[in-house]
Formats: sequence, C-alpha cells, structure tokens
Amino acid sequence: MVIAAAVCPWPPALAAELTGPDAAIEQLRDACAQAVERLVRNRPELVAVIGPAQVTRTWPADSRLDMSVFAPALGRTGGRAGDPALPPSLGIGALLLDQAGYPGPGCRVLQAVAEDEPPAACAELGAEIAGSSRRVGLLVMADGSARRSPRAPGHLDPRAAAFDAETERALRQADFGTLLDMSPGMASELMATGRPAWQVLAGALRQATATADVLYSDAPFGVGYLVAYLEPAGEPTAAHPPPPAQPAPAPGRGASR
Amino acid sequence: MAIVNRTPDSFFQPGVTWDERAAMERVHAAVAQRADIIDVGGVPAHPGGVVDVAEEIRRVVPFIAAVRGAYPDMVISVDTWRHEVAIEACAAGADLINDSWGGWDSRLAEVAAGSGAGLVCAHTGGQAPRTRPFRVAYQDVTADVLDQVISLAERAVAVGVDPSRVLIDPAHDFGKNTWHSLEVTRRLADLAATGWPVLVSVSRKDFIGETLGLGVDDRQAGTLATAAICAWLGSRVFRVHDVAQTRQVLDMVSAIRGDLAPSHALRGMV
Repeated sequence: MVIAAAVCPWPPALAAELTGPDAAIEQLRDACAQAVERLVRNRPELVAVIGPAQVTRTWPADSRLDMSVFAPALGRTGGRAGDPALPPSLGIGALLLDQAGYPGPGCRVLQAVAEDEPPAACAELGAEIAGSSRRVGLLVMADGSARRSPRAPGHLDPRAAAFDAETERALRQADFGTLLDMSPGMASELMATGRPAWQVLAGALRQATATADVLYSDAPFGVGYLVAYLEPAGEPTAAHPPPPAQPAPAPGRGASR
Repeated sequence: MAIVNRTPDSFFQPGVTWDERAAMERVHAAVAQRADIIDVGGVPAHPGGVVDVAEEIRRVVPFIAAVRGAYPDMVISVDTWRHEVAIEACAAGADLINDSWGGWDSRLAEVAAGSGAGLVCAHTGGQAPRTRPFRVAYQDVTADVLDQVISLAERAVAVGVDPSRVLIDPAHDFGKNTWHSLEVTRRLADLAATGWPVLVSVSRKDFIGETLGLGVDDRQAGTLATAAICAWLGSRVFRVHDVAQTRQVLDMVSAIRGDLAPSHALRGMV
C-alpha cells in the first residue's frame, strides 16, 4: 500500500558537484528536498524509486549515480568499471534519498521503467509495487517537456506548455485517469520523458483518493520541472492484486478518476 | 581554418558576414592574416528557423565560387552535413567537406570521394543535426569519440576518399556537455596518436563560456588557451573566428615545440 509519493524531475544539475551555483537550480533543489523530506517523514517500510531508462528492470538497491558519465573529471562515484551504468533518473533519486537521510539499501527498490513502456504495463507495474509491502513510499523521477522554449534542449514546441500544464493539473487534482491516458506518442514528440514514471505512479495510486501539493512547477531552462507530494487518504488495506474493475466512489467523496 | 558564416543568426557576431560584400571582406582579411583554409557555412549549429537544401545552396555555393575566383590556390571548405549541398559546393570549388554532424548523411563520404575532396569526420555521439545535447552521458567519452571518428575515417577511405585528405574532429560541444568537452581536450593526444590529422573547432564555444562564466563576446582568452593546449597535444587544424591571434598562438606553440625557428633571434647574439 502506498502511504505517500514524491514526484521530482531528475536534471543531472540537481547534483551540486555537477554544476556551479545557480539560483534556479537551487530553488528546484529546495523543492525536491522538501518533497522527499515529507515522503520519508511517513516512515515507509521501503521507498521505491521509479525512473525512466532504456529497459524496465530493477537495479541493486545500493547503486549510486556514477557522476563521471556526466563529468569525467570527477572520477567514478558509483558502480564498477565494466558494469552497466545505473540510469541517471534512479541515480538522482538515490541521491535525493541519501540527502534526506533515508536509510538504505535494505529499504529501497530502484525500479527503472522503459521510456517506451506502454501505459497499461506501467500501471500494472505501479500496482505491483503498491502491493509489495504494507507501507510503500514512492519517489517518482519524472520530467515534463524539454521543448518549452527556444533555448530548451529540444527547442520550442508551442504545444509543450499546455501539455505540461495538464500534467500539473492532473497531479494537483490526483487525477490518475488523465495520467494513464497520457499518449506515449505525444509525450515522446514533446520530449516529456516522465510519461512512463507518472503512469507507474498512477497505477500504484489508482484505487485511492489522494491529496496532492505541487511544490514547484516551472521550466527555467526549457525543460518542464514538476515537484509534487501526494498522500492517499484513508487506512491502508491489506496488500492484494488490484481488482479488475474500478469500485464506485462512496457518495460525498471525490473520485480519483 | 577561418570561419565565414553565411547566416543571419550564428551564435557569435550573428549576421556579420551575411551580406556578400562583408563576407568577401572577411575572406580578404583572413587571407592577409595567414589563414590556410576558408570555411564557408550556411546553417547555424543550434536549432532555429528552417534552412532547407535549396536555401543552404543559395547561401554558400555562389560565394564559394567567388572565393575560388578571387583565390585560385586557397583551400576552401564547405561546412555542411548534406550531400546535396556538398556536391554543388565541390563543383563550385570547395576542396574539403567539413561535416560537423558526424556522418549523419552517409552519402557525404561518397560525394567527397567522387569530387576528390577531403572530409572531416566528427564525433557527435549520434546527435541529430541542429539539436542540443539533453542529459548526454558517456561511460568513456574519449573512447566514444575515437570509435566514431575512426569508423567514419575508415569508411571514407573505403568508399574512395583520398586518405591524405581525411581529418578527424572531436567536435567540442556537439553531443557533449562542458565536462565532456574539457575531457576530450585533455585527451587530445589520444586523437593525434591515431595518425589521422586532428581538426578542432573550439572558438568562443559554450564549454569555454561555462568554464569561465563568460558570455560569447568575452571568450577570447579562453579560446586561445584552448587552442594552445590542442596545438601542444597535436591538433593540426583550428577552426576559428580570430585568425590573427590564433596564428600567433600556433606559431608560438610551434616554436616552443621546436618546429618553428624564431622570426628574429638577435638578442644576446650581436
């Protein structure tokens, strides 16, 4: 059962060693730290870090980001020579947990989800993770469109701002149905690499109603960064596979779909 | 290699050689300052307004013909990744195809072979033309550079490009962040050790700006320092905005290496 979820982007610049002082990145770091702090304050039994990568698979829980893949001069900071490199989305997530003082590796899962994983598979993965323990925390590493401005990594696509605004709305309103409906094709065109990770989140929380806070939403470098904290309402139920049909909402309570 | 951009919107001094007369003045100045190659390009490296094949040809080919007419013996390169542009440019007098986008158009090598032109083989890590790097990561950036440029060079020779006319270029900032560009600079001797002549294009680039915290108009010293290091480590061709100062840097490095006698050594010997 998911007791709380934090959503953060994963620009490598979040790692202070990789970038010099920058006010916009500092602001983002603070928001991510806040979201992760709230997550770990709930004392989850384990935190599953979800992040986009080439292949859907888990990585050893004690894995750390090797910063030398972005900055050769820093030397290897994680992994061993010859081993495949930990996806940076998970590496930045692990870094945020370390910085929040969350103990590991016994209580972490590092779950990579393929960039082209279909929505249904993402949702199923989310439901599996939700059912894997009584008190699961989710740290969802996900970015919006990298096409938000002329100087963005993906240059400007005029559709990008509206796409990111809709994602923000969906998170703010804990509208998991909208997240699950997000088109992989459109997300890919807009370089919104967070699509599969948000859909894992949506699959994990689909059966819940949740409250959400959006702690940061901006694109200072042309990439949409969203930081949010979500908490399902109500008592955690016993872990079991998700029912095939959505139960009707109780009268007077907002539905999450 | 003197840069002459036939564009209105390149990153440094945009539009300065957009007007044909201004561009030709620039060529005259570069020749007077002892440039060895005139590099003519019609499309900026960064994303922006579309420049299709026809427009790119319009921007560079007549100008190349004009430069060839004015300087029959000057080496002229065309800065393009497109084979359609390269064919026309070589017909108009270009000797070298400067492909910064790492063989994105695989027919470029055949065009070089067919025209008897040379070819620059650059590393981009697979990045598409006119895109920016996005969280690009390498287990070993220098190994990746060597792999791509050597493959391109060997393929070029295999399809008939004269091996003495093939150059390799780590292509600073193309598919690389600032740390990566610094690393390939530090490891430039590894490129020179391949035996292929090395071309570097570092002038005013963002890795220099990010290193020093300086805007594009203030990167002169950083550019010259980088050129000196590359020269010391074995680079042979330098694509630059400032010919005169780079010439001095290269001559100084050559003299320090013992490859060039001082122009005037009388002090202490009269």
